[in-house]
Amino acid sequence: MSALTVDGLSKSFGDETAVSDVSLTLEGGEFFSLIGPSGCGKTTTLRMLGGLSSPDSGTVRLDGRDVTALPARQRATNMVFQDLVLFPHMTVAENIGYGLARSGVTGPERAQQVTEVLSLVGLKGFESRDPNSLSGGQQQRVALARALVNDPAVLLLDEPLASLDRALREEMQSEFRRIQRNSGTTFLYVTHDQESAMSMSDRIGVMRDGEVVDRGAPRRLYNQPRTRFVAEFLGDATVLTGTVRERGAGTVVVETGAGDVTAEQLDRDPTVGEQATVAVRPETVRLDGGSITGEVIDTAYKGFYAEATVACGGAELVVRRERQATLPDGGEPGTGPLFSVGETVTLSVERAVVVANGDG
Amino acid sequence: MATADSGTGRDWAVAGGPTVLALALGVFPLAVLFVESIGPGLGTENYARAVSPLYRGALSYSIGVGVAVTVVCLAIAYPVTFWLAHRCPARYRLAGLVALTLPLWLNYVVLNYAWVWILARGGIVNRLLVGTGLLAEPLDLLYTQVSTGIGFVYIYLPYVILTMYVSMERLDYRLLEAARDLGATNWRVFRDIVVPQTLPGAAAATLVVYARIAGAYATPEILGSPGNVMIARLVVDAFQGYANYGFAAALSFVFLCLVLAGFVVGAAFPRVRRELRGW
Ligand SMILES: Nc1ncnc2c1ncn2[C@@H]1O[C@H](COP(=O)(O)OP(=O)(O)O)[C@@H](O)[C@H]1O
Ligand SMILES: [Mg+2]
Repeated sequence: MSALTVDGLSKSFGDETAVSDVSLTLEGGEFFSLIGPSGCGKTTTLRMLGGLSSPDSGTVRLDGRDVTALPARQRATNMVFQDLVLFPHMTVAENIGYGLARSGVTGPERAQQVTEVLSLVGLKGFESRDPNSLSGGQQQRVALARALVNDPAVLLLDEPLASLDRALREEMQSEFRRIQRNSGTTFLYVTHDQESAMSMSDRIGVMRDGEVVDRGAPRRLYNQPRTRFVAEFLGDATVLTGTVRERGAGTVVVETGAGDVTAEQLDRDPTVGEQATVAVRPETVRLDGGSITGEVIDTAYKGFYAEATVACGGAELVVRRERQATLPDGGEPGTGPLFSVGETVTLSVERAVVVANGDG
Repeated sequence: MATADSGTGRDWAVAGGPTVLALALGVFPLAVLFVESIGPGLGTENYARAVSPLYRGALSYSIGVGVAVTVVCLAIAYPVTFWLAHRCPARYRLAGLVALTLPLWLNYVVLNYAWVWILARGGIVNRLLVGTGLLAEPLDLLYTQVSTGIGFVYIYLPYVILTMYVSMERLDYRLLEAARDLGATNWRVFRDIVVPQTLPGAAAATLVVYARIAGAYATPEILGSPGNVMIARLVVDAFQGYANYGFAAALSFVFLCLVLAGFVVGAAFPRVRRELRGW
């Protein structure tokens, strides 16, 4: 049985629709991420799942039981809030033990469970500390422990790492993943950071304007995005539009401003002469003297690779070139430009996919 | 550092005058009062009389009224300010706050007399009760502990509301949601989150009103029964009635010590102390 089943969840604030007909299914023990740009309705969705706000329509089931009408305190969900909201007047142990105390777990038993979860999140011996005196990462761990210790059917996490700096965020990401595996708890993780979602999740749901527009394993969403929005939101796809010129086995040739591009058609079926949109990932554009000729109009240094934006006949493509450990002429890596603005390059597109254009 | 030194000098000059003035205003009358209370011959007879059973009754009654009315005011102010700060639509908030604290801007003697009109045998309340047939005879509401209590609450509630509102507004609503998410009932949320988070406001409100209620003169004079004498009445009698300034001063000092003792007892609770230190 699924840990969480959401069916047709909708909510409006005044005449603004925040969440519209969201349906999701989470299997037990799964790490599911809900991603989408700011304001797309992620927090609103999470609050309805946790019982902190009630939907206009739709149902929420936990382990098969309809909990739509139940308040937060009667639901087997727990939330890790965006700004943590630890109780500032309680110690670390009192914060973590609060939910246990509310469900009737008494003294020694509670202390035991608090100690266990503290060691799971890597804060052994922090029981009597004041949460205000902890570092950002430590507070994060306390917030996670406070929710996790109640063994919820689904743990709801609302961008808990958004306020951390990059290094700490990456450390906490792998910590979250490790803790999730060890505890076996089902995680519903909300973020606008597609990179962290891809590295942590078993599955991802992509939200836009209150709707879940696509869902699936990170690899599937990355390699075979169904819509232009998903292609651009997950990674840095470039999008070309053109006319279908030829059909092959599962592929179509699209005549774009840049030239002919062969694209996998996935579940779309464009006919010859029809307009089509194709998404191209920078790492599939080869600098190999192919049939596409263009001029570099912008360059960016990205550390271990360099990136160039190339204008080719009314369209733009992004191409990357990796820096090598040693250069052919024996020079220092990282010296000299890999691309220069105005330079003419010849390219070929190794792989592209046909996506739905527009709002889908 | 030269600049720091001259800055400090200027700071002293700027703060010095007003500080001396404030100390003079605060301490000087008290010192005069104290000298008067032990005069003329460094005696303690004024104090002995002030703590005699006759006055002890009035002292403890006054303190009791101070505590009871403060508690009632807090009990009313908690839900009202919570609603105002967290439930009331933002555009009505200021209007609500002004309406609730309107009595602050009226003369308090007038406020007391308003309740005379309301609670008298021929007043609004009795006419309503008798007129609707709920009662056959009008009730004796005026000049009782009930009327005194109502008058006190009416006059001091606005101060409590104003002070508590500041704390309530600062209360982070998300803490309440976090507690609910962890299984807290409304009562637990109130006990575990709202009260600890707003304790500074409650303590401040208590500081503002408790001693003023216990030492109040006008309200018990206008609305109270002659049988329940509060301490201010006795002090006034000593000053005006029989011009015994030394005794009046001693009585005032005993009262002051009792009020301070009340605060010390309050501060003995570790949690209250922690909150007070947070100011
Ligand atoms: N309490 C609220 N009142 C009015 N509008 C709200 C409220 N909460 C959210 N919204 C609106 O709903 C939309 C979705 O918000 P939210 O769920 O917070 O997005 P996200 O978490 O994805 O950034 C936004 O347009 C936001 O302005
Ligand atoms: Mg949000």
